[in-house]
Amino acid sequence: MEEYAREPCPWRIVDDCGGAFTMGVIGGGVFQAIKGFRNAPVGIRHRFRGSINAVRIRAPQIGGSFAVWGGLFSTIDCGLVRLRGKEDPWNSISSGALTGAVLAARSGPLAMVGSAMMGGILLALIEGVGILLTRYTAQQFRNAPPFLEDPSQLTTKEGAPAPGYPNYQQYH
Amino acid sequence: MLCASLRVVQRMEKLPRCLGKQLLPHSVLTRAYLKTQPLRWGLLEQKRTVHPRTALGFTQKTFWTQGPNPQKANEDGSKQVSIHGNQREETGVSTSQKVKEAGRDFTYLIVVLFGVSITGGLLYTIFKELFSASSPNIIYGKALGKCRTHPEVISVFGEPVKGYGEMSRRGRRQHVSFIEYAKNGLKRIRVKFYIEGSEPGKQGTVHAEVEEDPQSGQFEFRYVFVEVAPTRSIIVEDNRSQRS
Repeated sequence: MEEYAREPCPWRIVDDCGGAFTMGVIGGGVFQAIKGFRNAPVGIRHRFRGSINAVRIRAPQIGGSFAVWGGLFSTIDCGLVRLRGKEDPWNSISSGALTGAVLAARSGPLAMVGSAMMGGILLALIEGVGILLTRYTAQQFRNAPPFLEDPSQLTTKEGAPAPGYPNYQQYH
Repeated sequence: MLCASLRVVQRMEKLPRCLGKQLLPHSVLTRAYLKTQPLRWGLLEQKRTVHPRTALGFTQKTFWTQGPNPQKANEDGSKQVSIHGNQREETGVSTSQKVKEAGRDFTYLIVVLFGVSITGGLLYTIFKELFSASSPNIIYGKALGKCRTHPEVISVFGEPVKGYGEMSRRGRRQHVSFIEYAKNGLKRIRVKFYIEGSEPGKQGTVHAEVEEDPQSGQFEFRYVFVEVAPTRSIIVEDNRSQRS
């Protein structure tokens, strides 16, 4: 139970910010390398130089915008957790939508709505992937069909008490 | 693109002013429109040129299409000629082209269908998780609500009771562990999550189980209890005596 003692929330913001920056730099770097290579003038030296230039100029920018997204998302997520006192997929989805709205705030209300919808749907998809992944990985551990007794903590009324609490490996 | 439009704007500035004055009532509307597109049109606004968008777009188009237009026309013409020739001489090539095109279309269709089905499946999963009454998430929410209003839980853990599931990747604790099974032909779902209150260091594990009601098809709680310590637990709700 030691791992549950630590509260993840304020530190998660830094974690997500850094993770998003790394993701943006790597992904954007690969993308910009290909783009710079193709846009440069003919000649292998020119092409490599163009590729390197594009990566140098654009990858930190992309990483920065990813980091802003991740940091703001995580901040709103933590705020919602604090506010609602509950952690569930709604937090992620609504904070994704709010992040989209906040980051598009300078482009007017219509763009805010569109961006919020995009953020919400994106985060809903990601949550769906997460749920499916946990189900899938959990089903591999489940081998025997569980025959569960009622927990022994409750006052037994059906006669024979259950022999201890069932194994949590079966949970998924 | 931008350079060309700027050039257009500079030319338009040399036009007589009366034209601009005639267009003034119209330009108020366009200015309102321009505000919604600050990125593309901000540069033009700085130059104090408010022209109707249609005129600008039109001139821009004529400027643009001058260069590549003849070439494109030539290409189109040659293509058409070749197709006509093929059709007249032998139909085999055209059918093979048709097959090729249909194959390409089919591939695109498959790709699009694949993407749409994956997206739909994911959305279905998440919506089922969020809204279906038998989803672990809904059971978790209801059980947490019951725990929050229980006086003994409040006195042990402190007033703002918060709940969370299993710690998964990177500090996310959204996933509530659950297990589904059937007993006596009725579906039961057992859910486990954790609660914490304002008391420092106090953490409890909540176990809850719902059972399908055979008459209404609704899921009813069988029990909800909080495990405070290995030896102590708070029973929030125990409905097992009502049924067999």
